[in-house]
Amino acid sequence: MSGGVLVLALIVGAANWGFRYLPIRFGLGTGRDGAQDGGLMARFLAAVGPAAIATLFVAAALPFAAGGDLAAPLAGSAAVVAVWCAARSVVGATLAGAVVYAAVFALVT
Amino acid sequence: MVETGEGRAAGGLRAGMLAAVPIALGYFPIAFAFGVAATGAGLTAWEAAALSVIIYAGASQFLALALLTSGAALPVAALTLIAMNLRHLLYGPALMKAAGQGAARRHAWAWAWGLTDEVFGAALGDLARGRRFSESYMFGLGLPAYAAWVAGTVAGALAGGGALADWPVLEAGLSFLLPALFLALLLSILSRPQVPVIVVAGVACVAGTLAVSSTVGILAGMAAGAVAGVLRRVRA
Repeated sequence: MSGGVLVLALIVGAANWGFRYLPIRFGLGTGRDGAQDGGLMARFLAAVGPAAIATLFVAAALPFAAGGDLAAPLAGSAAVVAVWCAARSVVGATLAGAVVYAAVFALVT
Repeated sequence: MVETGEGRAAGGLRAGMLAAVPIALGYFPIAFAFGVAATGAGLTAWEAAALSVIIYAGASQFLALALLTSGAALPVAALTLIAMNLRHLLYGPALMKAAGQGAARRHAWAWAWGLTDEVFGAALGDLARGRRFSESYMFGLGLPAYAAWVAGTVAGALAGGGALADWPVLEAGLSFLLPALFLALLLSILSRPQVPVIVVAGVACVAGTLAVSSTVGILAGMAAGAVAGVLRRVRA
């Protein structure tokens, strides 16, 4: 294995582990850091989750929108919403979205 | 029947593994594509697998390939990839905030490694729907996702280029798993007070992506949405 690849992986991997673990280790978000209910930090942390998920959805969906043909992504998204409303299941909604997307993709290509 | 601590742990592990199914299904084909791209870029199967085992962050692994093949200096490549993953700093605190005071974190040094975008989103969604936080649930959520990522990479590296070329419909369906998962997660945490946060995050992500790059779009979306949450007027 190339030494450069391994060194790069170790540096970036160590940073990733630190980013994911150290804020938990030092109690950020647990109330010991001033994140009491109603405080600025509490509101910031409460908003991070929805903001992150909304952002990641948009980032994941943008390449499909940029592809031009919106029939399959729109049908897939509609299936996700429909199954979520009917069953309140993240697993079911996700799989239904992928199946409907693939079906419409097969029809239009 | 009285449920023991061990029984609760097993239940949490099972529930986490069930919630991880769409994540694992979404990860495998993406990791497969990474494995194919890595060997196509000249890495060995071992090197491709090592990147997935040690870094475990999809977008930055693809960027790592581009940096390695372009001959970028090691410090530049490392700093670029680290900057790309800065958003993960926010996930632990946001998760522990949702978990509530007294939430266990004794084994966080291990399960936090699996706190990727999708695992974080799934955990937060389940907490919003009333699931009680447990470390066994976090292990159950993280392990299948990690296994799928590494297995997908190895499979892709061994298969080589064009492995899914004969199955375009399957490839298309698999490619839509992650946006579908994020949309389902978004629906699962949707509440009226969070609508401004979600709208601001989405608009900022689009603007940042179109103006600069997808990495800037992701950072801009998260930052702008979180700031919108802070500025949002608290209703009595």
